[in-house]
Amino acid sequence: MNIHYEFPLEEAGYAFGFLDEYAKKEVRRTILKAICIPGYQTPYASREMPMGRGFGTGGLQLTLSLIGTNDTLKVIDQGSDDSVNAVNMRQFVQLTCPGVEVTEKLEEATLIQSRHRIPEIALTETQVLVLQVPYPDPLVVVESSEARRKIMHAEADYSRLLVKLYEDIVHFNEITISHRYPTRINRHYVIDPSPIPRWDVPKLNQSPALILFGAGREKKIYAVPPYTVAEPLVFDDLPFRVEDFRDEHGQRRACTRCGATNSFLDEYSDDNNIKIYQCSDSAYCDGQLAQHQQREGKA
Amino acid sequence: MSDIQTPRASHGAWLSPMQQQIFRDLLHVFSYPGRVAECTADSMTWLALLAALTDGEVTLADPHGLIAADIWPKLEARSGTPGKATFIVADGGRIMDFQPCTGSLESPETGATLLLRVAALGEDLDGGVPLNLTGPGIQGNTELFVSGLHPSWLIARAGLAAFPLGIDLLLCDERRFAALPRTTHIEIGEML
Ligand SMILES: [Zn+2]
Repeated sequence: MNIHYEFPLEEAGYAFGFLDEYAKKEVRRTILKAICIPGYQTPYASREMPMGRGFGTGGLQLTLSLIGTNDTLKVIDQGSDDSVNAVNMRQFVQLTCPGVEVTEKLEEATLIQSRHRIPEIALTETQVLVLQVPYPDPLVVVESSEARRKIMHAEADYSRLLVKLYEDIVHFNEITISHRYPTRINRHYVIDPSPIPRWDVPKLNQSPALILFGAGREKKIYAVPPYTVAEPLVFDDLPFRVEDFRDEHGQRRACTRCGATNSFLDEYSDDNNIKIYQCSDSAYCDGQLAQHQQREGKA
Repeated sequence: MSDIQTPRASHGAWLSPMQQQIFRDLLHVFSYPGRVAECTADSMTWLALLAALTDGEVTLADPHGLIAADIWPKLEARSGTPGKATFIVADGGRIMDFQPCTGSLESPETGATLLLRVAALGEDLDGGVPLNLTGPGIQGNTELFVSGLHPSWLIARAGLAAFPLGIDLLLCDERRFAALPRTTHIEIGEML
């Protein structure tokens, strides 16, 4: 993202939320239809943003169309509030949406924009999650024609996708998809849930919060409404499994920073080339750490 | 424009901060079918909702003549027939006498959004007909009470087309509104 972008000032300042009101209305209408047709990739006219596509323009357009002065925004990139992308995106919103609060604390946020992760702590009905999507259509791997894919989706015809999945499983003897696991919404449309790990896929199911997906390059918006069935595609003989964080002794690995044994862990190598594990959700890690310190302080 | 400096100075449905608030309420009622939102703008509910949604990109049909002539330019929408328009505003108390667009397999989003004016609605309402609702956005089931809605709208809605095709309803009384997206299954109960 180009943080030195200069705003067009020919019209006495820029609009709240950067996008003009027509662009926002179009995104808003599209969001409502996306909720009415759960999992359907609803097309819209994506506007140019002052950053390259692929930097989350689709997610940002959703956020800017949703946000108002009553909102508190949290931006996360791969679980972290502090990555360059998340910081730039947050600054962009602060600059273009005067009056909007920003936070790193999940419980304070009304709007959460994220890339690659769903927060560890369950979202609530007062929150909306916006996920950035690079590749919205799970059928691309089996059908190159978009016109034919649209009909396959509408008829919920996923037989070829299932065959492809099964072939991979037979070949590798397990489900090797680490991210973007095809997930069926409301027993009809199958979505690409964005590059979240398998760990996060169950959080889509019966979520109290609305979850929106924005693909800027492909100009698509789709939704998993609250309290909606979201099922990863599976086979009877090979059930869906989330990532396994057990070590060679069968012991669940803990975060080296906060000690959590119930979070999605990122793997790093330290200076001595020894593997260390840490919560991918940095705000969750901070929260766990603060709780421990509080308890120790009291003891 | 001074919208940025005075975000809450006016309750006018034509100002962008109010349209943002109304949109968020629309987002809420479509996300949680059957829940009722309060319209905070100082105009008729259906008109405030239209103001938040329409511009020159959409077609709007008004088969019952609810929209005053001087309002049309403000909505910016092109006038359409009830059979083709993306938005339709109608008197829900009257019998449904047209066939709205339900979209196509390739583009189910072109199924119309209908704003229906009703006498009253609420999550609890004396004299209202209970609608028992199930589907996405609803934990188990929920009830919405409506009065002044001709049953033909609900019957037609269920019979028009199979998912993903369909129409999406917004019920509006004087001050409140609720949504019935095409995914919501409705059972009409006995009036209390
Ligand atoms: Zn941790």
